[in-house]
Amino acid sequence: MNLKTALFIGFFASTLVACKSEFLDVKPLVGSTEANFFLNAADAESATIACYNNLQQEVTNIQGSSQLAPHFRWYFGDIVSDDSHKGGSGDGDEPELFLFENFQGLSSSKLILAEWQVAYRGIAYCNLALDRIPGVEMDETDKNRFLGEAAFIRAFWYFNLVTMYGDVPLILANLAPSEYQQSRTPASEVWAQIETDLELARQYLPKRSGISVSEIGRATWGAATALLAKAHAYQSEWAPCRDLTYDIVGSGEYFLEGDYNNIFTEAGENGPGSIWEIQYMNASGGNWGNQLEGTFTNVFTRARGQFGGYGFNIPEQNFVDEFESGDPRLGASVFQLGDQMGDRGEFTLESTGMPHEYYTKKFFINASDEAPFGDPNPNGYSNDRVIRYADVLLFHAEAQYHLGDEATARTFVNFVRGRARASGTDPNALPAIGDDVAGADLLEAIYHERRVELGLEGHRFFDLVRQGRAAQVLADQGFVAGVNEVFPIPEVEITLSGGNITQNNGY
Amino acid sequence: MKNLLLAFSFLATMTVTAFSQGKAVTGTVTAAEDGQALPGVTVVEKGTQNATFTDLDGQYTLTVAGEEATLIFSFIGYTPQSLAVGAKAEINASLSADVAGLEEVIVVGYGNQKRSKISGAVGTIDSKEITSMPVLRTEQALQGRAAGVQVTQNSGQPGSTQSIRIRGTGSLNNAEPLYVIDGIPSGGIDYLNPADIASISILKDAASAAIYGARGGNGVVLITTKSGSKNQKPQITYESYYGVQEPWKYMALLNAEEYAILMNESRSAAGLTPLAALANPSALETFDWQDEIFERAAMMNHSFSFTKGTESSSTAIGGSYFTQDGIVGGDKGNFERYTFRVNTRQDGGERFRLGQNVNFTHLNRSALAENNEFATPVGRALNMDPITQARRDDGSFAYSNFIDSDIANPANQIAINNDFWTTNRFVGSSFAEFDLLSNLTFRSTMSVDLSLGSQRIFNPTYDLGIGPNDPDRPAYEFRPVNSLILGENKWSNWQWENIVTYDKELSNGDELKVVAGYSSLKNRSTSFYGSRDSLATNDVQYAYLNNSLNAAEQAPSANGGISESAFIGQFMRVDYGLGDAISLAGTIRRDGSSRFGVNNRYGIFPSFSAAWNMTELPWVAEKDWIDFLKLRASWGQNGNADGIGNYDYTSLVYNGLNYTFGGDQVQVNGAGPINTSNPDLKWETVEQTNIGIDADLYKGKLNIVLDYFVKSTNDMLAVVPLPGVVGYLPSATNVASAKNTGVEFMVNHRNQVGAVEYAIGGNISFIRNEVTGLGEGGQPISTGSVFGIGDLVAYTEIGQPIAYFYGYETAGIFQTDEEAAANTALPEAQAGDVIFVDQNGDGVVDGEDKVMIGNPHPDFTYGFNFEANYKSFDFSLFLQGAHGNDLLNGVFRYDLNTTNLPVSALERWTGEGSTNVYPRISHSDPNQNNRISDRFVEDGSFMRIKNVQLGYTLPESIMQRLSIGKCRVYVAASNLFTFTNYSGLDPEIGSRGTLEIGIDRGFYPSARTFMAGVNVNF
Repeated sequence: MNLKTALFIGFFASTLVACKSEFLDVKPLVGSTEANFFLNAADAESATIACYNNLQQEVTNIQGSSQLAPHFRWYFGDIVSDDSHKGGSGDGDEPELFLFENFQGLSSSKLILAEWQVAYRGIAYCNLALDRIPGVEMDETDKNRFLGEAAFIRAFWYFNLVTMYGDVPLILANLAPSEYQQSRTPASEVWAQIETDLELARQYLPKRSGISVSEIGRATWGAATALLAKAHAYQSEWAPCRDLTYDIVGSGEYFLEGDYNNIFTEAGENGPGSIWEIQYMNASGGNWGNQLEGTFTNVFTRARGQFGGYGFNIPEQNFVDEFESGDPRLGASVFQLGDQMGDRGEFTLESTGMPHEYYTKKFFINASDEAPFGDPNPNGYSNDRVIRYADVLLFHAEAQYHLGDEATARTFVNFVRGRARASGTDPNALPAIGDDVAGADLLEAIYHERRVELGLEGHRFFDLVRQGRAAQVLADQGFVAGVNEVFPIPEVEITLSGGNITQNNGY
Repeated sequence: MKNLLLAFSFLATMTVTAFSQGKAVTGTVTAAEDGQALPGVTVVEKGTQNATFTDLDGQYTLTVAGEEATLIFSFIGYTPQSLAVGAKAEINASLSADVAGLEEVIVVGYGNQKRSKISGAVGTIDSKEITSMPVLRTEQALQGRAAGVQVTQNSGQPGSTQSIRIRGTGSLNNAEPLYVIDGIPSGGIDYLNPADIASISILKDAASAAIYGARGGNGVVLITTKSGSKNQKPQITYESYYGVQEPWKYMALLNAEEYAILMNESRSAAGLTPLAALANPSALETFDWQDEIFERAAMMNHSFSFTKGTESSSTAIGGSYFTQDGIVGGDKGNFERYTFRVNTRQDGGERFRLGQNVNFTHLNRSALAENNEFATPVGRALNMDPITQARRDDGSFAYSNFIDSDIANPANQIAINNDFWTTNRFVGSSFAEFDLLSNLTFRSTMSVDLSLGSQRIFNPTYDLGIGPNDPDRPAYEFRPVNSLILGENKWSNWQWENIVTYDKELSNGDELKVVAGYSSLKNRSTSFYGSRDSLATNDVQYAYLNNSLNAAEQAPSANGGISESAFIGQFMRVDYGLGDAISLAGTIRRDGSSRFGVNNRYGIFPSFSAAWNMTELPWVAEKDWIDFLKLRASWGQNGNADGIGNYDYTSLVYNGLNYTFGGDQVQVNGAGPINTSNPDLKWETVEQTNIGIDADLYKGKLNIVLDYFVKSTNDMLAVVPLPGVVGYLPSATNVASAKNTGVEFMVNHRNQVGAVEYAIGGNISFIRNEVTGLGEGGQPISTGSVFGIGDLVAYTEIGQPIAYFYGYETAGIFQTDEEAAANTALPEAQAGDVIFVDQNGDGVVDGEDKVMIGNPHPDFTYGFNFEANYKSFDFSLFLQGAHGNDLLNGVFRYDLNTTNLPVSALERWTGEGSTNVYPRISHSDPNQNNRISDRFVEDGSFMRIKNVQLGYTLPESIMQRLSIGKCRVYVAASNLFTFTNYSGLDPEIGSRGTLEIGIDRGFYPSARTFMAGVNVNF
């Protein structure tokens, strides 16, 4: 073997070990991965905003297929109740919702599956933020604020889940594959966690008066306190509810908008009485499969025919009858035959092409205000007023009633009635409740006021259930006590949990 | 047979007697092995047409020109012999049997093997078969030629891709085989000119593909391009053909009168008033939209090659130009390709060799949208109403007054289409080979595969309204603002391979061959796109971003990114030949990839195979009709890494989880992961067992190959739904599995009858496909959305084939309202509606009652070819087909109620007893008659005469005068006839990914082509 051969053998041998194993370590250069995320304040802020992002989901792809399912909160809060019925183009439009309206809903329904999946997706982002933000080097106040926001949003999602389904899995950290199959946690523990999260949020979140105009829409101390008060109310814990709602009243942060008719206009967004509002805008260019920052509620609740909507959430006659004569809130909540629907024309049976005599007004937007580009239907601008000041006042009244202080209860109901009266043309309408209304009648008055003040805002069904009146009020819709207080757990989730998750009674 | 021989002998002697001068030669021809006389042997005087045949005793007589003549003796299955006449009057010849087929060397992974010794299942196609059919893409040349290989086109548009499945679909993600060209795994073979290919080997079983490890799971297609040989005189060839394509079929649709009658009936059934325009059906003039969009289109090819070799080097150079217009859109569907290549080898001394392959290809493509049901010219032409004309009297494009929504004027769509792709592809490799010892060789190869692509899409403004602001103008027939998208893509593969080969014949006669090597590959792909709208002129010539009127104010839209991956492989194959009869082979390969998760970076892929050459066994050898008999078996594991994305192992953070804050409602950016990450991500493992028999019978006249295989894919990637509590969307995990089992049979027969040499061959494969696992819970996967049906039509679940058709079973039509009312499972039904079967008997027809209504996988596929040569004429016929596959006809947009329909719609139910097959026609459909059901599934079995060719080689005498070696002219037809019962435009519908197979959404059909061409060798 000569030198040349030896050299070649050596060369050949070296080529066999030439490449190091780092050769196979190829990291993505576009977009970060979990490895290099959460490094600085900007990352923490982005992660927090990701928590907000899921709040805007209304029409979602069911995981694993390309089917879109709308799953608005008002589907469950209004249509399932006696405030409104489904509407749409006919019985074949959203047939699953039709079944739920008559309490025949199936666990195979896409509606409840989408609602479940979106809620847990929101929770996953909050868990990620709560887990990783503490490790980021940044200003403590800002950090705490982000943590507070994540905690608030997580509590909000669990509030929605527990009121919809009862016992639900309680997930407080991102899951490892071995933990994917979870089982349900009793509702009482979920409520306890909600309260813990909201206490943390109350501690860290600034008051609304302390945030700048450009930050309107971010969670505030008021939002956390109001949600906590509601959480206590839903568990019938009236003392803490009373105290918390009083905190809000006493803080001077909020007051009732002078004219009720202004609340649901564009100018009335994030108004003086707005405590927690999910923001939407019409200029983000979203489309059907990819809902960006616009809302579908505008087009879904608008009349069909020449008005170009889908015609859902049709107010029922008994809801219209609930309003006292001269109550301007009826005109602000419901379109009646002969009304002008903004700049879109007059409401007649011919112009809508459907036999309904009422339509929801609170989420109506003019044609001239529609999205400046793209498909206007997924790009409505109306914010979702989740918690209004009037809601807090009425909870205070309800709490005081249950704790025996009927006088204060009356006063607070009258605050709300007074604003309504001032919004109308008849100074004698909606007289203040006097001392003669007491006991059960006072409670009825409170319930009545809630219905007309917060009508078609997604509260009714959940109110009826927590007040224990659902079986009686919704009897002719088919409500079965002990079963229909909650919705069925999606059967897909039961299967995927390996049977760890059990179905609700009666489904 | 004997009469034929006599007749030819008579003719031959007639020829001889005509030339009364000359020298008479006589003799006997025998077989070398056994001395037996050979009848029917051709005896020809070299350089002339003067020929005769040996008689039954092997004797012949021929008068030749003179003593300088040479006689050539040739016969099928024997090596030809050439003998000079000289002064002799008797010339005897002894011919030896040509079992050359067995000594034929076949290219396998990293080496060659003799056909007699191969123990794996390898199919071969040689260059003659490739160029016998004028093809654009090399994959088309594989169609029907090799058992077990199914090639279907994904569209008939020029330049579109093909789907190739070797032994069934073995993956839910990527089932395409690996292409290796001249030893280099390639990113795609569209840059090759098929005329440059010398041979193709298809590695079908695990043992032959194992040396490609993690990339060989779907089989490997090895392509060897032509190269020069040593000491070869310069040879130049030139080939050219010109062809005219036309559509081979139009769908039978309603004419204007029928359309109007049905529309009126449909509207009144739904309680709608009839349309005034359709009040007088018989007065309406029919417009044929298929005639409007289909046209005759030309295609043309010119290619040349030059090869030469000296003592120590060889060179092959080739170039070609190919252009093809589309039968839809003409030059709007054009594909054009220029190729140039240089392939050289040099010897640097006794023990050192160098080689270089350089290929450059330039591709231009103008493309029309295809294969969807809402935005393609073909889909729109089939759905458009037959009353609206393409143009109004003033020449402007018209819109339909009857159909709204996305069925727009297809003629206008073609006219405004501007979607151009340009690709420059450079593929090159360079190797150095050194003989370390006499039987130890080392070879190092570097190669690069670089593709630079650019795309230009210009959408001009248009308005089909009558005058400006026409209120009846549908939304889709109007675009107020033009826009332009420009994009650049760069894609590159760099590879370095080092291989050592040891080849030794041992002292006891056994042969040992070892190949060991190391391979590394780095891939990188970058892209950049920019777009702007409101360009100053509406002319595609001026469509450049800076011509936008908004250049100053509006921010342009731009995006771009980069993606990379890397592979490392170490492999070794040992071939051991035990005596002459037994060949054993074992391969092991270890592969690592950047695509795999950290926990599973490397995988090991072993395989074993054995072949037993039974030819010398006593009971075989005594049967002289068996020339060669080999039994082989193999087992191995390969991987499939190509279905994994470059970064699927990790969870990418997505910067688009936005919200809005502020009084001004400003968008703010949020970021977070979308999918779960999967550090356990790894390759799919394909395990295959194969048993086969090769036999050569009757002195090479009959050749048979039979194989049986079982191919299981485990750790198949599937996106399996996760519990909602996880929060994130699932990423692909290795949880699924599938199985393909099959039998392949191939037979070839060659013979000579008098002056006619012919060969007949065929192959048939039976493959059964089944999904065996879909992860925990086994959740089925629904895919294949079809607009007209409004549902997903394909379903993948355990125990059934991948992506079968899933829907409702029908049981006739309700003939009376009483019958409909009695069926409580279908509460909305009335007389004339479809009866859907309540499979589970629960009293309700819902999603639980869906069953399998069709299977897109064929029961068997086959190919058949026939070739004959007679003197200077040659004829070939090739056909292929598939049988037992179903297709889903999703062409018509039933969701719109107003589109055109096939003539079968005339058979609709009109009263009791009128039909039990087609429902009543109505604009309202409360019973959902048009839901996914067996009404939309049709038998897609077909047989297609793919190629018929007749050629004539010009006489040598003329050629010699022009100093041309050989010149052949031919005429051919491609896709001449298609026999099928399918009602759509083409039964050969490929797939859109692996989970949507055989769904017709307005398929761009393949064309019937007539062409003429010439091959010249200088």
